[in-house]
Amino acid sequence: MEASTTTGPMLRLENIHKRFGKLEVLRGIDLEVAPGEVVCVLGPSGSGKSTLLRCVNLLEPPEQGEIFVEGKDICKGPGSAAGEAGWELDFVRQRVGIVFQQFNLFPHKTAMENVTMAPEKVLGKATAEARAKATQLLERVGLADKLGEYPERLSGGQQQRVAIARALAMDPQVMLFDEVTSALDPELVKEVLDVMRELAEEGMTMIVVTHELGFAREVGDRVVFMDEGTIVEQGRPADVLDNPREERTKRFLGLVLDR
Amino acid sequence: MQEFLNQFFDVGFMVDHFDEVIEGFWLTIQVSVVSGVLALIWGLILASMRQLPGKPLAPIRFLTIAYIDVFRGVPLLLLILLIAGGVPALEFLPESVRIPQWFGRPDTFWYGVTAITITYGAYMAEVYRAGIEAVPPGQTEAARSLGMNHRQAMNNVVLPQAVRKIIAPLLNDFIALTKDTTLVSVIALNEAVLVGSDIQSETFNSSALTLGAIMFLAITLPLARLVDKLISREQSRFTRGAPRVEAL
Repeated sequence: MEASTTTGPMLRLENIHKRFGKLEVLRGIDLEVAPGEVVCVLGPSGSGKSTLLRCVNLLEPPEQGEIFVEGKDICKGPGSAAGEAGWELDFVRQRVGIVFQQFNLFPHKTAMENVTMAPEKVLGKATAEARAKATQLLERVGLADKLGEYPERLSGGQQQRVAIARALAMDPQVMLFDEVTSALDPELVKEVLDVMRELAEEGMTMIVVTHELGFAREVGDRVVFMDEGTIVEQGRPADVLDNPREERTKRFLGLVLDR
Repeated sequence: MQEFLNQFFDVGFMVDHFDEVIEGFWLTIQVSVVSGVLALIWGLILASMRQLPGKPLAPIRFLTIAYIDVFRGVPLLLLILLIAGGVPALEFLPESVRIPQWFGRPDTFWYGVTAITITYGAYMAEVYRAGIEAVPPGQTEAARSLGMNHRQAMNNVVLPQAVRKIIAPLLNDFIALTKDTTLVSVIALNEAVLVGSDIQSETFNSSALTLGAIMFLAITLPLARLVDKLISREQSRFTRGAPRVEAL
């Protein structure tokens, strides 16, 4: 993998600020993610977790701060007049894949077409090549028998697995997961987490925003706890989850575990 | 009663004048189809310009919105008179534009088509916009996150879904457009209404106009039923438990 040739962090965020109107959602986030590392981000709703992910691939460009992917500054002078001209959109979107809470599959396309669309349209791959790769990816997420199905005929878990395959089709170096199991019925959560676990074992660099503490503990190399737009505490999963230092972390974990 | 029937529904009279009326109606159809197709394309261009992203393109968005507002607000009849009376006087234009005779159609035909396209392009742009805005933003985000640029996301993801939602309202607009082509009669294009009205004033019998009405209904009624069918089909796609309708 190209990733392993990179020295230094795969991803580095420096002092990221983001506001929506008067609300400051991110207040100075610093974060480094090493190649192959799995970082799980926890925190109450409204803490800025999702916004942080969306900043990383510039779906929500930050107003202040720098983002480096493989050492390259992808948003030079954010908030400046340069605007989109200073953003390395092509660079970041071909290296960073994202999977959304609501799947966001293209409803007018089959599972296969969902996966082949970007490689064909963006990378200019031949149809046969794109389909071969899509078949392989959909098999990998356990959907070999669903290639020709439209999303509305798939369960939530199946749709989310197609979404993962769709993101992987662009050969990303980093995968972002934005509460990908939160919209699923409980019995469908495991099949999606299993796919993510395999991906982590294969060495994918991942940032996972989740409420699944079990997954964070088992699969995460590091847990980051966010609240009110800042990183409150981070460390090895066992340390943060079992012996949190900060009062806010303790309170949040208490509430989650009480359920 | 007999007098009423003779005035409006004199079948013998209709048969006698059938050829003239159908000739006029054929012209109506031509104006409708040509300006309908042009308005469909022009409306899509306008709607796309209105959706262009980013600050530098704000003037284009503003001008597009201004255009749509102005031509939705100006009566089509007025616009037809403006073009048919004004354009021929613009000496700086080449004669083929001032007095167009393209494809063997008279200049009045093209003045009408131009006015209808300008007006209905604005209407249809609004329909397209409603369709585009009905596609959830998550669709664009997914497309952009996969590396597609704005245009690729529009063409491959947003518009195909939007078009499916707006076929019915676009057809509705087309029905209205077909009826509005009769306004071109004011600049003496011999379409169905002008033919019928001329016959009426010569013979004091209105049956030729009634015949024109019947011809309009022959086109508009099936279209109206088709619209209903498309709407109920679109709704059943999103009704829980309903059998899945084959994608268009």
